[in-house]
Amino acid sequence: MTTSPATETTTADEPRRSSRSSRPVRRSRGKVGRERVNRPATALLAVGSLAVLVPLFVTVNMSLKTTAQAVDGNAFSIPSPFTLSSFVEAWNLTNFPRGFAVSIFITAIAVVGEIVISALAAFAIVRNWDRRAFRWSFFYLLAAMFIPFPVVALPQIQLTGMLGLDNPLGVAILHIAFALAFNTMLFTAFLRTIPLELEESMRMDGAGTWGVFWRLILPLLAPMCATVGIFAFIQSWNDFMMPSLIISDPDLQTIPVLQNMFQTQFSNNYNIAFASYLMAMAPAVIVYLFAQRWVMSGLTQGAVK
Amino acid sequence: MSSSFGRNGHLSRRALLAGAGGALAATTLPACSGASGASTLTMHQSKPEAISYFSQLAEDFSQSQSSYRVQHDIATNLSASFVRNNPPDLGCLNYNLEMGRFMERGALADLADLPAASTIREDVQDLTSWYATYEDRTSVIPYSVTAASVIYNRRIFDEHGLEVPTTWEEFVGVCETLKAADVIPIYSTFLDPWTIAQGLFDYTVGGMVDVRAFYEDLHELGEDVGPDSEVSFQRTLLEPVERMIELVQYTNPDASNRGYGDGNTAMAQEKAAMYFQGPWAFGEIEKSGEELDLGTFPLPMTDDPADLKVRVNIDLSLWVPEAASEPTGAREFLQYLMQPSVQNPYNEKFLAFGTTKNAPAVTDDRIAEMQTFYDDGRFYMGASQFIPKSIPAQNYIQSIVGGADPERTLARMDADWARLAFRE
Repeated sequence: MTTSPATETTTADEPRRSSRSSRPVRRSRGKVGRERVNRPATALLAVGSLAVLVPLFVTVNMSLKTTAQAVDGNAFSIPSPFTLSSFVEAWNLTNFPRGFAVSIFITAIAVVGEIVISALAAFAIVRNWDRRAFRWSFFYLLAAMFIPFPVVALPQIQLTGMLGLDNPLGVAILHIAFALAFNTMLFTAFLRTIPLELEESMRMDGAGTWGVFWRLILPLLAPMCATVGIFAFIQSWNDFMMPSLIISDPDLQTIPVLQNMFQTQFSNNYNIAFASYLMAMAPAVIVYLFAQRWVMSGLTQGAVK
Repeated sequence: MSSSFGRNGHLSRRALLAGAGGALAATTLPACSGASGASTLTMHQSKPEAISYFSQLAEDFSQSQSSYRVQHDIATNLSASFVRNNPPDLGCLNYNLEMGRFMERGALADLADLPAASTIREDVQDLTSWYATYEDRTSVIPYSVTAASVIYNRRIFDEHGLEVPTTWEEFVGVCETLKAADVIPIYSTFLDPWTIAQGLFDYTVGGMVDVRAFYEDLHELGEDVGPDSEVSFQRTLLEPVERMIELVQYTNPDASNRGYGDGNTAMAQEKAAMYFQGPWAFGEIEKSGEELDLGTFPLPMTDDPADLKVRVNIDLSLWVPEAASEPTGAREFLQYLMQPSVQNPYNEKFLAFGTTKNAPAVTDDRIAEMQTFYDDGRFYMGASQFIPKSIPAQNYIQSIVGGADPERTLARMDADWARLAFRE
């Protein structure tokens, strides 16, 4: 790490002082503005970021255009006149608030359900690994990873229909069931790293299994819960196939399925479609922005002193 | 968590739970359909351009009487609803090979006794029997028919002193003249396989071959379709497909990386004289807001102008499933939709032809030239529409225009057809 770029940053004395004192101890502070810029890597990253930014720009750009301008074949031209009418139309056509509420309902149940049920299963399996029934049930769950939804779609449609679950609740339950295998695997792997001593000390103080789980294990599993939660959120929020097949009441359909009407073989409504996609994307982007920090920091946390 | 629910979300969640509870109750009391007052009638209609139009009709009908409230379904998966045994009460959809499967299994109720059924033109009603039939039932009522042929730009034709061609030779002459004048004769969008199948393939085949008889023979032959059978893709369709390849030289050179949307944009910008698309493209071309003078003419494939025909398809049809929960209401709504004062405005608005015996002639200048052909029953349905989806016919056709050997590709379609027939 050479010193040359330090001069071009704003403060000359402050970073030097802090770096001198902090470098041997902690690396996190005082580095700002002191690192050498890795220009080739930065250039590569800048080009790479275009892969995200260009489509995003087109999406925002198109959503602000009028229909006539949206079909003129120039995706990059600046909208003139600016119009928000696409948002209004998308809002009305999809009955956005209702679809949005249904999507949130499914997603909330799926996220909470996947975390709690998979964590419970993993806890039971890991702590009873010496018993055959639990071991085998773990393998049984893992085997389910090899069955994708489309394969069993038809029987699922019939089953949910028979049980009266051909509604968003049924979709949420199916999400929980189909993700159970993968999530339980994640949780068991993580649970094995939590020492049994922690649990034993808690039991000595009189806690039962239930108390141990809720007050010790689940908090310790927080980083993994964040990971599972993010996967659950993205999968259930963006899912198209399951709600389109399972939900029988059109008034209770989710946003991705409703948006399907914007693009068909015979017609395109680019401006309205993009406006609608942007509105549907917003929660996913916001959740990701907040939750990714937990995952990043959470995965490096240890349970042992 | 409750803060993340808006007012709408909260109401909706309640409705959801109530719905879930209701559905659970319904499983224990299958016969009881609960609600007081008007019962709900589901109409499945998902043609995107017409959604708001039919929503209005559903609303109007709901207001016009007090027994039924129409729920307009645009999102439910149709096959899933049949599997679940709660199909929509009334279907208002494009009728095609896939829909024909429901017919074939007797899933659609007989509507022959409805007054509306007898108002349909016989040759139009007969189009539904090109697909599978079931016990002589009249289950599918054609609501609108779209006719597709060559879209042409009248201004460009006039500029080069061209007349609408009525024979194959004249057509090739038109293409040559345009090409010599540095105008793209035909705009093609090979990137979207369906556009080739719908346009170049269906027009050339339909103009030379009796499509219905061809497929009837193919079905009869079943697994015997092959190089030696009397009727086959490689034998019967070779000539039209070769002419199709002849036309490829008159299309835009960049056709292989142009999609449907690009084609509509190009036609709106008058970049080409002709476009092999149906009336659905007019709505897209119109979006650009340009003033254009477009017309249509059937692609002439023979030397006899009497052979001219247009390609039609059943744009919308009405049917009531056997398992409908409100068959009476569905029939009532069907009758409502079939009133001339309701049906004719739809066809006028969406550039389609009426299906009843006394439907008025189309007035839109862009499709008016097809009226005589439609009135005389000089039409066929697209040959590509009768090949089951398990045979990737559109992709085969795409590879033919891309330079693959037509004989070998058509032979492959024969082999696929025979294999499929053997399996079934």
